[in-house]
Amino acid sequence: MGPHDEETEHYLEEFQPQAVRKLQIVAQAGTSLWKRLAAAAAIVVCVGGALWFSRHEFKRSQVGANRASMLTVADKRQPRSTLSLTVLALEDGKKFETLLTDESRISLPDFREEQSTLKILAKD
Amino acid sequence: MYEKHGAALAAYECSCGLDHASAEDVVQQLFLKLLGKKIFVPQTPLAYLYRATRNASLNLRRNRRRETNLTETESWFVHPNGNRDECLHLQQALQELPEEQREIVFLKVWSGMTLLEISKVTETPLNTVASRYRYALGKLRERLVSHFRKEG
Repeated sequence: MGPHDEETEHYLEEFQPQAVRKLQIVAQAGTSLWKRLAAAAAIVVCVGGALWFSRHEFKRSQVGANRASMLTVADKRQPRSTLSLTVLALEDGKKFETLLTDESRISLPDFREEQSTLKILAKD
Repeated sequence: MYEKHGAALAAYECSCGLDHASAEDVVQQLFLKLLGKKIFVPQTPLAYLYRATRNASLNLRRNRRRETNLTETESWFVHPNGNRDECLHLQQALQELPEEQREIVFLKVWSGMTLLEISKVTETPLNTVASRYRYALGKLRERLVSHFRKEG
């Protein structure tokens, strides 16, 4: 480049392009951030709800299964007649007590029922 | 990058025939796309930005063919002396340059790139870039000197 070119270049450099307004990215970034946060919160709620529901269902099914198994055990036992129980009570008091205790574990009346004895006792 | 080159890009668009407000809009949109990664940008984005802004301004101008052209009285440069006339004459001289020369002048003078960098980003041989720049400076000098002579 000759001296004239350099001179012209310096002359051009004196001019500055008009300033441009600031890049309006802050507002947009903010909006997208809120959108992202809302989406993340929605996902967390959905996943949390699904987990809670599945665990709840699992517990319920376990309780149901236990109860069913207990009922089957109870069903498998032979029902004893009042006469046989009276005879047993007279002959062997200890055995009778043990039998009553075992029976009470599986065949107590449901205290949730409206007029059940246990419910009335519990109120008292 | 926007702060460093935004103004020069907007001025370059004005030299392609856009008014300054539209040029600013185009530059903003381009940078927002760039930041949102909505467009693929090569490793050296400056030359790409010049090309993209030029294309955008051409599209915009094509769409606005029937609108009145107000750019002739609009100044897209600022001179430290505040001489608006000088700015307008420089603008006119720049607009008369061929596209490839004008691009090199903007990249060199207002985006601060070296001729070697320009040659790399525009994928043009260095000698071609240098001669285009020299031609451009010569034409600008000629135009500006003749203007000053007329002004006395």
